Amino acid sequence: MFSFHRQTRVTVNRQGVVGRRDFLKCVSASALAAGTVTWTDLVAASADDLRRRGRACILLWMQGGPSQFETLDPKPGHANGGATEAIDTTVSGIRIAANFPNLAKQMKHAAILRSLTSKEGNHQRATFLMHTGYAPTASVKHPALGSIVARELGRPECELPAFVRIGGDIRQRNSGNGGFLGVEYDPFAIREAGKLPENAAPTTEVTRYRRRLDLLEKLEADYAKGDGSQRVVDHRKLYEKTSRMILSKDMRAFDLEREPAAVREAYGSTPFASGCLLARRLVESGVPFVEVQLNGWDTHDNNFDRVKQLSGQVDQPVANLLADLDARGILERTLVIWMGEFGRTPKINPRNGRDHYPRAFSALLAGGGVRGGQVVGSTTAGGDEVAERPILVTDFFQTLCRSLEIDPAKENMTPIGRPIKIVDGGQPVSELFG
Amino acid sequence: MSRCMYRCGLILLIAVGLAPCWLPQRAIAAEAASGDASDGVAVATLTSESPRAPATPVDAMAAARRLDELLANEWKAAAGAPAVASASDAVFVRRASFDLIGELPTPDEITLFLLDKSPDKRAKLVERLLGNSRYGLNWGRYWRDVILARRSDERALFAAESLTTYLADAFNNSTPWNQVATDFITAKGNLGEDGRTALLASQWGEIPETAAEVARILMGVQIQCAQCHDHPTDRWKREQFHELAAFFPRIGVRPVRADGQRRGFELTAREEAPPIAKIRPAKLGKAAKRFEHYMPDLNDPAAEGTLMQPVFFVTGQQLPVGEPDSRRRETVAAWITAPENPWFARAVVNRYWAELVGMGMYEPIDDLGPDRQCTAPETLDYLGSQFIAHNYDIKWLVRTIASTSIYGRESKPRPTADEVPACGCPQPLRADQLFNSLTQALGLDGIEPLREERGGPGGPPGDPRRAMRTPRAQFQQVFGFDPSEPRDEISGGVSQALLLMNSPALARGMSLDAAGRSASPLAKLLADAGGDEEVFVELYLRCLGREPHADELAVCRRHVVRVKDRREAYEDILWALVNSTEFLYRD
Repeated sequence: MFSFHRQTRVTVNRQGVVGRRDFLKCVSASALAAGTVTWTDLVAASADDLRRRGRACILLWMQGGPSQFETLDPKPGHANGGATEAIDTTVSGIRIAANFPNLAKQMKHAAILRSLTSKEGNHQRATFLMHTGYAPTASVKHPALGSIVARELGRPECELPAFVRIGGDIRQRNSGNGGFLGVEYDPFAIREAGKLPENAAPTTEVTRYRRRLDLLEKLEADYAKGDGSQRVVDHRKLYEKTSRMILSKDMRAFDLEREPAAVREAYGSTPFASGCLLARRLVESGVPFVEVQLNGWDTHDNNFDRVKQLSGQVDQPVANLLADLDARGILERTLVIWMGEFGRTPKINPRNGRDHYPRAFSALLAGGGVRGGQVVGSTTAGGDEVAERPILVTDFFQTLCRSLEIDPAKENMTPIGRPIKIVDGGQPVSELFG
Repeated sequence: MSRCMYRCGLILLIAVGLAPCWLPQRAIAAEAASGDASDGVAVATLTSESPRAPATPVDAMAAARRLDELLANEWKAAAGAPAVASASDAVFVRRASFDLIGELPTPDEITLFLLDKSPDKRAKLVERLLGNSRYGLNWGRYWRDVILARRSDERALFAAESLTTYLADAFNNSTPWNQVATDFITAKGNLGEDGRTALLASQWGEIPETAAEVARILMGVQIQCAQCHDHPTDRWKREQFHELAAFFPRIGVRPVRADGQRRGFELTAREEAPPIAKIRPAKLGKAAKRFEHYMPDLNDPAAEGTLMQPVFFVTGQQLPVGEPDSRRRETVAAWITAPENPWFARAVVNRYWAELVGMGMYEPIDDLGPDRQCTAPETLDYLGSQFIAHNYDIKWLVRTIASTSIYGRESKPRPTADEVPACGCPQPLRADQLFNSLTQALGLDGIEPLREERGGPGGPPGDPRRAMRTPRAQFQQVFGFDPSEPRDEISGGVSQALLLMNSPALARGMSLDAAGRSASPLAKLLADAGGDEEVFVELYLRCLGREPHADELAVCRRHVVRVKDRREAYEDILWALVNSTEFLYRD
C-alpha cells in the first residue's frame, strides 16, 4: 500500500480533484505506468487518501472576541440581550442576530455551536489557545491548527504556501505559527487580498535570479562546513521553498482581477470580503489552510454600534463564501470556521460595552462534512452559563480534526523529543456529522 | 493548565534524576525540596534567603575574572569538554559592534582593530563603543521591543518613539537602572512625549496585566499565572498577585484633546478617591473599583470580588487601602528596586547575560524566581550583587560581561539539554540591527520606504500611523520579534526571504545603475578599487565584516568569468552576500 502512495500524489491534479471521472482518468495513466497494481486495488487503497487530500479549511478569525449576543446567540427579551433583535433563518427554529440577514439565508449549510467554554479571558492567551488547542506555555511552542493542517494535508506538488494568513495585524504573533514543527509550517502572511503579495516577483529575469541562487549556495559552502551548518540548512530550505513559490504559475491565484466582476461584487468590496474571495481561490489552487482575519471585536465600549458595523463587513462575504463553495462543489471538502478567541460578558457595562467572557461563547462551522442547519448546545436564558452540551476547546479541536480527517491522537515530536498529540484529550462533537 | 502540568512534569523528571547533567546538584536539590515543601509556603515571601551584606564594588576587569572562576566552577563538567578557542579579532569586533551599538563595524574600523597590537585592544574597543551615542539608541530599541511586544492595545505604539528616546538618553548617561524602573512605575503624561509612560500604558489601563508586566519585565517573575488560580509548583498564591495589582488600580489611559485637536493619549491617575470611598470603599460597588482593586470571584465573575490591600509579594511589605495613587506607585517602585529584592537585579543581569552570551542562566530570560532552575546561581548572584554595588550601572554590566572569557570565545551552536555549555552561541540579529547592517552593506544613508502606506498624515506626537511609514518600522514589521522569547526559537519566514531577495528598494541599493544623479555606492566602489580581488574583499568587509577565504574568492572569480558581464557579476555577489545565512547572525 505504501508503494503507490507516491503515484497517487503524482496523479492527483492541483485541485486534488475527487470527481469520479477525473479520478479514473488519473488512475489509468499511473496504473499503466506502474503496471503492478490492479484497478480495484488501486481504487480501494487510494480512495481515502485521495479524499483526504482534497480536504481544506478556511478559518474566518474575528480578533478581539465577537459578542455572541449580537451574532450567533441573541437573547432578545432578556436584560443581558440589550437591544439586539433576533431574526428567522431559512432553517426553521434557528434564529440569529438581526446583524446577519445574508447568513440567515445560508443557514442550511452552517451549524452553530453555542456552548463553547474555556478559561482564557486574556486576548493573547485565548488567541493562542483557539489557534492551537493548547494554552501558551513558555516551554513548548505549540503549532497553530493551520500549521498542523499544512503538515498533514499539504501536497508536495502544490507550489503555493500550505498555510496562508490574510489581513489582521502582521505583527500579531499570538495567532500562532509553526511552533515546534518549524519555520516551514509558518503562515505566509499577506496584509491585504487583491494583489500579489509584496516582493513576490524577482527583480531580475528568471535566469539571472537562478544564477544568483546558485552563487549563494556556493558562497555559503564554507560557512556551512563549520558550526553554521544547521542554520545554513534551514536557510536554504526557506530559500528553496520561497523560490519555488514565486516562480510558480499558481501565484495567479492571488490576483483577484482575474475573477469576473460579478463574482467580486457578490462577495463585496471590503478588505475582509476580498480576503474571503482569495481564500476560495487559494483553496481551489490546492492550499489546504487559509485564515482570514478581521480585527476590532474587542467592544468594551459602544458594543452595539460597533458589532453592527463589524457584522456589516462580515455578513455578506461569509454568506456568499458558503454559497460559492457550495455552487463549485467544494464545500463538502472545505471546512469553514467563523470564530474569535472568546465571547463577551452577558452584563452590559456602564460604557454600553461588553467585556471578555470565555465561559460561554459561540462559533460557526460549515462544510467539511458538517451537517448544516443545526444548533449544538445552548446557554441559559441570560447567557451566563452553558445550559446544554458544554464544548471544551479540546472537544472543538477534536471536531475540527474529524472534519479534516486528521488523526488527533497523532504525536509530533518537539525538538527535545517530547511527543505532543495534535489534540490532547476531548471528544469530537459527533452530532455535527452524518 | 498545560503550563502547570508541564512544570510538574519537569520537576518530577528532575526528582528522579533525569536532569541535564550540567545542572548543579545544589539547584536540583533545592528544586526537589521546594516541591516537597509547597504545602508549607502558603504565605511565604520570596526573600527566604538570608540577607547579604552589600558587596564591595570591584572594577569590570576584576569582576569578569571572578565570573570566569565562578562559571568554570559551576559548569564543572566543562573540564571534560573540548576547550573552545578565543574568537578571532574579526569575529570579536563584529560581535561587540552589533551587541553594543547595533551595527556592523566599518571596513576601516575592522582593519584598524586587526592591526592594533596592544594587548588590551578588546577592552578599549568595548569602552569606545560604550561611549558612542548609538550604544544608548541600540539598547533603547531593544527595551522598546521588550516593553511593547506584549502590548494589549495597538495604541500603545504612540509611546514607541518617545520610549526609545528616553531610554537612549538614560543608557548613554548611565542613569541607574533602579531610577529607570522607578520612572516607569511612577510615570504619568502624554505617551507621545514621555516614554516613561510606555510600560504601564502598554497594558492600556488593564490592572492585572499591568501588574503582571511590571513583575515580568522588571523582576523576571511571572506571577500572573496566579491570576486565576494558586499555582501548584509556584509558591505564591492568587491573593498575592492581586495584592500586587492593588498598587495600580487608579491608572488609566485616555485620549488628549487640546485646541479641538486630538493630541494622542495620556497615562493618567486618579490621585484621591472621593471621601466616602476612603471610608467604606467596599460598599461603593462598581464606582469603588475605579479607586481600589478587587480580586474577581471565580465562581461569579459578575460579583464584586474581594477588596485587595496593596502588599508586595516579595517582602510582604504593605500599604493600607485608600492611599493616594502617587504614594502607592512611589512606594512599590521603592520596594521593587530595593537591594533587598534580589529579583530586580537578577532579572536585568540575567537578561544582559543572555543577550551578550546567547544563553540565559535562567531561561526563559523573563521567568526567574525561587522555583525555577538557574544553571549558574553563584555566578548570577555575584554579577547581581556587583551590579547593585555599582549603583545599577548598565554600562558597568555590559563592560563586565564583555570582558569575561566566555564572551571572548568562539560561539558554537546552542548545546542540547545534556551537553555542557562552554561558550556563547550565535544570535539572530534583531530587526534594528539587521536594518542597520543592510543600510551599511549597501552604502545607503537610509533605505527608501519599502512600500506605500495608506492613511492620513497623522498629527499627534508619536502617532504610530506616521511612524509606521518609515522604512525602519516597515522592516521591523517583517523581521521584528519579542526579545524575551527564547532566541533559538526565532526563525525566518517566507516574507523575510522575499524582502531580502526581491524588495525593489533593496534591489536599487544593490544596483550599479546611478541612484538619482550620483553614482551608486557599488559603482563608486568599482571606480575606486584596483581590481576584482579588491572589490571582493571590500564587499565581504562591508557585508560580513570579514575578508573572504581563499575558496570564497575562487567562487567569486569563477562567477565573474562565467557571467562575462562584470557589472552584473558584482551585483550578483552583493545580492548573494546580503542573502546569506551569515548576514543574519552575529557569531
